[in-house]
Parts: sequence; C-alpha cells; structure tokens
Amino acid sequence: MTAPAMPAHPEARDVEARWFEWVGTIDHKRIGILYMVTALFYFIVGGIEALVMRLQLAVPRAHLLLPETYDQLFTMHGVTMIFLVVMPGLTGFANYFVPLMIGARDVAFPRLNAMGYWLFPLGGLLLHYSWLAGGAPDVGWFSYAPLSETPYTGVVRSQDYWAIAMLVLGVGTVATSINLIATIAALRAPGMTMRRLPLFVWMVFVNSFLTIMALPALSASCVLLLVDRLFSAQIFLPSAGGSALLWQHYFWSFGHPEVYIMVLPAFGMISEVIPVFSRRPIFGYAFVAASTVAIAILSFGVWAHHMFTAGLGHLSDAMFAASSLLIAVPTGVKVLNWVGTMWGGSIRLTTAMLFAVAFLIQFTVGGLSGVTFAVAPIDWQTTDSYYVVAHFHYVLFGGTAFGVMAAIYYWFPKMTGRLLSEKLGKVHFWMMVIGFNLTFFVQHFVGLLGMPRRVYTYPDLPHWEALNMASTIGAFILGASILVLVLNIAQSVTLGAPAGSNPWGAWTLEWAAPSPPPEHNFDAVPPVNSRRPLWDLAHPDAPDARVGPDEPPDATRPAAAPVAVLSFIASEAAFFALLIIAYAYFTTTPQPGPSPANSLERVRTGVFTLLLIASSFTYWRAEKDHEANRPRGAIAWLVTTVVLGVTFLTGQASDYVQMTRSGIGLGTNLFSTMFFTLTGFHGMHVLVGLVAIVVVLALAFWGDLTGRRAHVMRTVGYYWHFVDIVWIAVFSVIYLRGTL
Amino acid sequence: MTTRELLLHAWVFRPVVAVAIAAVLVAHTAWLRMRHPARTAALLGAALAAVLALMSPVDVLARGTLFSAHMMQHLLLVLAAPPLALLSLPRTERAAEHRRLPAFAYWSLGVGAMWVWHAPTLCNAAASSDAVRAVQTISLVAMGAAFWWPVVGPRLDQRLADPAAVAYLFFACVACSLLGIIIAFSPVEVCTAYLQPADPLGLLPLVRRRWGLTPAVDQQLGGLLMWVPGCAVYASSILAVLARFYGAAGSMRAQGTP
Repeated sequence: MTAPAMPAHPEARDVEARWFEWVGTIDHKRIGILYMVTALFYFIVGGIEALVMRLQLAVPRAHLLLPETYDQLFTMHGVTMIFLVVMPGLTGFANYFVPLMIGARDVAFPRLNAMGYWLFPLGGLLLHYSWLAGGAPDVGWFSYAPLSETPYTGVVRSQDYWAIAMLVLGVGTVATSINLIATIAALRAPGMTMRRLPLFVWMVFVNSFLTIMALPALSASCVLLLVDRLFSAQIFLPSAGGSALLWQHYFWSFGHPEVYIMVLPAFGMISEVIPVFSRRPIFGYAFVAASTVAIAILSFGVWAHHMFTAGLGHLSDAMFAASSLLIAVPTGVKVLNWVGTMWGGSIRLTTAMLFAVAFLIQFTVGGLSGVTFAVAPIDWQTTDSYYVVAHFHYVLFGGTAFGVMAAIYYWFPKMTGRLLSEKLGKVHFWMMVIGFNLTFFVQHFVGLLGMPRRVYTYPDLPHWEALNMASTIGAFILGASILVLVLNIAQSVTLGAPAGSNPWGAWTLEWAAPSPPPEHNFDAVPPVNSRRPLWDLAHPDAPDARVGPDEPPDATRPAAAPVAVLSFIASEAAFFALLIIAYAYFTTTPQPGPSPANSLERVRTGVFTLLLIASSFTYWRAEKDHEANRPRGAIAWLVTTVVLGVTFLTGQASDYVQMTRSGIGLGTNLFSTMFFTLTGFHGMHVLVGLVAIVVVLALAFWGDLTGRRAHVMRTVGYYWHFVDIVWIAVFSVIYLRGTL
Repeated sequence: MTTRELLLHAWVFRPVVAVAIAAVLVAHTAWLRMRHPARTAALLGAALAAVLALMSPVDVLARGTLFSAHMMQHLLLVLAAPPLALLSLPRTERAAEHRRLPAFAYWSLGVGAMWVWHAPTLCNAAASSDAVRAVQTISLVAMGAAFWWPVVGPRLDQRLADPAAVAYLFFACVACSLLGIIIAFSPVEVCTAYLQPADPLGLLPLVRRRWGLTPAVDQQLGGLLMWVPGCAVYASSILAVLARFYGAAGSMRAQGTP
C-alpha cells in the first residue's frame, strides 16, 4: 500500500501549490472527492435547516420561527438536499469510481469534468446568496406558479436566484452526465464489454441518459419562469391568459425522473456492496440491468401522479395510476434480486453491509407507501400531508442516503488507503437507523391523522404533540449520527488501519489499483473475461464462466467526441421540444395583439430558411472534400457555410428590429413572448454553431484536423445539422401552422 | 344500442381484408407447415390484431364516431400487426452486399405513421372518406413494418445491434409520447370530424351518455392511448431486446465457447 504523499518541506509555496493541485485539478479522482466534500458540507447545511424546523415543530403553537422563515427553511432544505447534496454526491462517486471500474485512466473529457464540478459551488452560492438579497425562496422545492411569480413574491428576487441557480446546476449536471456516457462508451479496458460492466457503472450509464433527457425540462421551466419574472411576461400567470398547470406539467416531467436520478446510483452501490459481503455474485445480473432501463423509461411516463389533485380528469388519473403501479414491478423484483444474492451466501456484517441491509428494508417501506400514492383516491386523501413527507424520506434518506453510507464505508479505503473505524461505524449505523426510523416512521401516522406539511405550526390535537416530539428527538439522534460519521472520517483519514489494495476481497477492477490509486490509476489493467475479473485472477483454477463473446484483439470503442455530441443533441432536442410545445399551446387559440398572421413575414423568412438548409448541404460538401483530402475545397465550402449562417442570423435580426419598431416586445402577449424566446434560443444556437465552424475552419486552414482532432469535423457537423433541423421544426410551427 | 349489443353485433365483414388475412395464413402454413409453434402463434396474433382493427366494433366506432377508437385502430395497425407478422417469418442471414438504408429512415417512417395521419386535415379526411381510409390503413401497416424491420425483421444482417435497437425504440417512444401528450392536453380538437358524427347506426347515445365520452374526453382518451399503452409497447420491446442481449451471453456459456 502507499501512504498519502507528504511534502518534504511544507513551506508556504508548497501550501499554495497544494491548494492549486485541488483548485486546478482535472484528475477525476480529485474532482470526485471535491464533489463529495462539497456535498457533505451542504448536507450539514441542509441538515441544520431540518433540525431548526424540527425544533419549531416539537410542540404545538411554537413561536421559535416566523411563518415566513419556516417557509424559507423548508424550501431551502428541499432544494439543498436534492440539488446540492444527493445529485452532486452521487456524481462524486460516479466520477471517482466509473473510470476505475472500467479500467480507464480518466474520464473522456477531464476539463469538461472540472467545469461541471465548479458550476456546482457556483450554483450553491447563487442559491444561498438569496438569503442576503431579501430572503430565500419560500414556495417549496417545486416552485409552483403562480406563487413563484412577481405578483406574489413582490420585489424579492428569491425566485430569480432559485431559477438561475437551477440553470447553472443543470448545465453542470448535464455536462458531467454527457462526460460519463462518453467515458463508459469509449474508454472501457480491453475485454470490458457492455455485458461485463459492473452494475454500479451500468446504473450510472442509464442514469446519465435519464439525466440528460430529464433536466432540460427543468431548464426550460426555469427559462420560461425567468422570462415571466424579468420581462413581465405571463406564461404561467392564469390571470393574464397563461397557464399555471403548464408549470406543473413541465416541472413534474422533470421532477419524477429526478426521483429515479436520485435513487438509481444508490441501487448500483447496493449491487456492488451486497454481493461482495455475501460472497456470491449478484443474483440475476441481467434482470437487475434490464429492469433499470425499464424503470428509466417508465419514469418519463408517470409524472402526472404528482398532479392527481390538479383536476386533470378521471381518465388521465386512471391511466397514470396504472403506469405508476407498473413501475413498482421492476423496482420490487430488484429487491428480490438483492435478497436472492444474500440467500445462501456467507454474509459478513461489516458496517457497509449493515447500511446496505437497512437500505433494502427502508427502501421497501418507502416503495410500498409510494404504491399507495399511485391509487388516485388515496392520493387525494393523503396529499400534502406528513404521510408524503414520510414516504419520500424513506425513499431518499432510508434508501439513497443509506446506500451512499454503504458506499462510503465500502470505498473509503480505496480513496484514502485507510479503513474507516468499524467500531465508530457500528455506532454511526445504529444511531442513524434509530434516529431515521424514529423521525420518519411516526410521520406516517401524524400524516394520516391529517397534519399538513409545509405549515409552520399545528394546533394541540390528540397525539399530535407526542408524535411530533418523537420525530424531533429522532431527528436530533439522526443529526448526532452524522457527527459520528464526520468524526470517523476525520480520524480515519490519518489514523485508520492501512487498507491495502483490496481489503474486502472484492472483484471489480478498482480494487486492482493501489489505494489510493496513483494519478494514472493502473500500471496494468488485469484481463477481463467475466463480471468478476479479480476473482478470476485470484482463482485461476476456478474462474467464472466467460460472459458474452470475447472482443477481437483489434476491437475499437466508439469515439468519445461524437458520442458526447450526440448525447448533447438529445438533451438539447428535449429542451427545444418543450419550448416548441409551449409556443404551440399558447397560440392555438387566437388572442388580441400581435399574432403570426399580422406580424410575421412568411415568405421572407422562408427564403432565409432555405439558406439555412443550404448551409447543411455546404457543410456536408466540406466534409466530403475533407475526407477526400481536398483541403482547399473543404475551406471554400466551410466559408460558404459561415456566410449562409451569418445571412440567416442577419435575417432574424432584421425581423426582430421590424417587430420592435412596431412596438412588439417580449412581454406584449403570449405569442410575442414565446416567439422571441423560441427563436432567440435558436438564434443563440446558430451563433454557437457558427463559432464552432469558424474554429473548424481555422483548424482546416492550419491543416490540424488529423490525429486526435480527426472527429472534430464530423462532430461539429452533427451539431450544425441539428440546429438546422430544429429550425425546420420551429419554422413549421411558427410560420407554416394554420396555412396547410 | 347497448354496450353488449355493440360488442356482439357491430362486426363487419370486409371481403378484401378477410381474403388478404386468409391468404397470408394459407401461404404461411403451406410454406412453413406450422413447424414452429412460436412463429405460428405470432402470425395468428398479427391476424387477430388485423381483425380487431379492421372488422370489429373498433372499426365501426373509428369510422367517424370515436377518436379514441380510431387511435386504438391506429395502434393495432402500427404497433401490433406488423411486428408480429415479421416475427412469424423464418430468419435468414445474407452476406452484407445488400445494405439497408440508415436506421433513421426506418425510424422516421414509423414515427411518421403516428404523426402524419394526425395532422388535422388528414385525420378528418380519413374519418369521413372510405378511399382515404383505405390508403391510411395500407400506409400504416407498411410504415409499421418498415419501423419494425431493423428490430424484429427476418433478415438478421439488417437488424440493428442490440444497444442501437434500444436507442431506436427509446426515441420512438419519446416521439409518440410527445404526440400523445399534445393530443391529450390540447385545448383544441385534433380531428373535428369526430365532433358532429353523422351516426347512421345510432351509436351516439351509447358513447356520449352511457360511456360519458364527450368529444373532449374522447380526444383525451385517444391521446392517452397513444401515450401510455403505445409507449408500453416500445418499452416492453426494449426489455425484449435487452433480454436478447444478455441471453446471448447465456447461450455462449451453454455452448462452452472458449
């Protein structure tokens, strides 16, 4: 084993250098640790917010907090825990372990990875700055319109900070997810076929797709909310013809997949921990892997079960109840897979395993109460009560947080070279189990008794005080258990028992590297013939059966850049689809003021559209010339492409000028709002595409489009064609609709 | 008319459809002699889907009375009959000299089958004119077959690799869900032909009063059908592809390949 490197002469310069090693790092392991430590910091912040709320709720009619402060606390607690703790915390683990588990040296795009991380504290700062700017957001983590709109928040900028922070965090999360997809697609070690992926990696892979497809819905919602708030538009204001229901649809079409985004990586962690400490390979690998895909897909089709009380009609309710019940099936059978793995195994109850077992039990409880919500009439009775609070804390704390704890105890030795204390770990575990269940189990009852959530205090009704007091006591035990964890980490980093490279006798590749792994991860990656390469290495006489066909020795992986750009395009397409739908939704019924018929010039824009389509053709010709090694032809076609693109933008700009001259602004009516938003975003994409093409042009000019830049031309082409296809959709919906 | 009477008596014998189905069944039996029970079952499933779509009360209601019945017919013709029919064919593999078109072309046909026929003009035309309906039916089956060809088609060399097939089906699911969502929550009618049905059979009292399907509810149901059960077909196909993907690993072990 190798001890953490200590500088020989700890002078001021060294300290500075060591700071820079962290701030300027592009090593996936350091970035992973930065994610985890920042998430732990916010976990403590969000936890303190929760404890303050529990103090307020300990007795009826308490006056510790003002109602307004309480509103801010529960909103900030939810937003912090979801966006600043769970998502980045899980990303941290993925960052650290995915490259190690697939035998790679780093992620596909280390600099993009660093950017993804640094957007996270930036988003956190923006969100928390709202405290200083008049007050934190106070309308719940889902920020329901119209409460989040200017008529209700007044001059307070809280929702602006919330929306901007969400956009910043969203960009970082999507960037990191794209990076992970490209890493898993492109950088697997020889022999590591998709069928042999460790389940944690597989779940991160599926989860990254879920993330890039779901987060655009949040980003689109936030963009539209900001348009409302900053430009006095009325998209989500029913009083002015907008639709508050649209906010609910958009938010939950992100919000429900988000639940799975927060739980799938924890499934992956459990799927690594349970087999290792049961000394048996996972039971039903294929089912666990495939059902993850099923969950991811179904999760997009169930969001309206969050809206059973919004009055969508019995038909929608019934359909969504059915699809929501359906999603419980793959999830429930997964629990059987984990139990089946333990069945007949020789179980070692380490702290990691204890957390994994608690995960199974508590997640099942949370899943069962979740199934009750899928039944619409039960939902009508229990919605907005503490029964809901109990349910989602069983899923996200009893499930995800316990899964992460299992992962911390399991992987800490790999990250630091030292074991966490098992003694303190057991104390931590039991305090956490008792504290968690005491806090949240009683909330099922207090919810069924009718106590509403998000209200700062409650009347002195029978049993309410006792149950709430129990919950508060539990919360403080829970808080104390986190102190034990922090103490354990602080102590074990320097004093823990040396771990060696593989303290648990585990089987996946990360345990073949030294602990902590050197910057390049592996000197030599072991051969991979099955899902347990280290088992095969340790038992050459009884290796696992080979999984799937072997790769030919000259097998190549997909190139990272095209994979990344195609993923990015999928994400962008989702974003534009939502903007286009919102445009179509608000313009189906005619309204007073500007409209497509009286303010747009169809023919002129049609000509510019043809020019843009032509630019796709010229780019394609440039690619052909480049492939045929005719650099001059390629440069000529690229210049033509740029000219066509600039002409298109000029046409758009003159449209804007004309409309502004006739007094049409962003906030004039719903048509003008959606017109400027949609075409404005598209115009920005054209601009970005043009910048990229100019870069390609420069590279082509210097003859620098070979070697590791071989994919640049094709990759930029994908993006440019995508921008053009989006315009065809936008043009059809804005300019052609109603003329056919 | 009651629901029972509708289900019992509103079956229509359409000679062209019946002859076509019978011919396919006879040809299949003559060719393969029912040696593969699974393939025979698939073909019978396809035939059943076609009968349900074109000769049952679904068809009667779809002719101008209920938008949701039209949607059911649409789904049966694109998502049920073609893939089952393709699965009933024996698999062949040929050298790669006949390359297929890019997958995006097949995908566009399948997704286009959903979108194009729900453009208001075409939807109305199909609801009121028999000739347009015939074109619609044939084109739906053809586009459905094109869509499923790279996933379950008999030419193994023209099938997509399993991971690509998952993406192919996933984005089809997204595209159909989008359309279903738009139809379900659209504030205006997609198909105005269903607003004031001519109703020669006197079905309106049944569907409007007894079933409670006002035009708005009817359209919502139609959109939901495309969205939830429609997407469920793609989702279960994805699971089947993944089972095939991992199943290949199992058979490899069984054969003891080195």
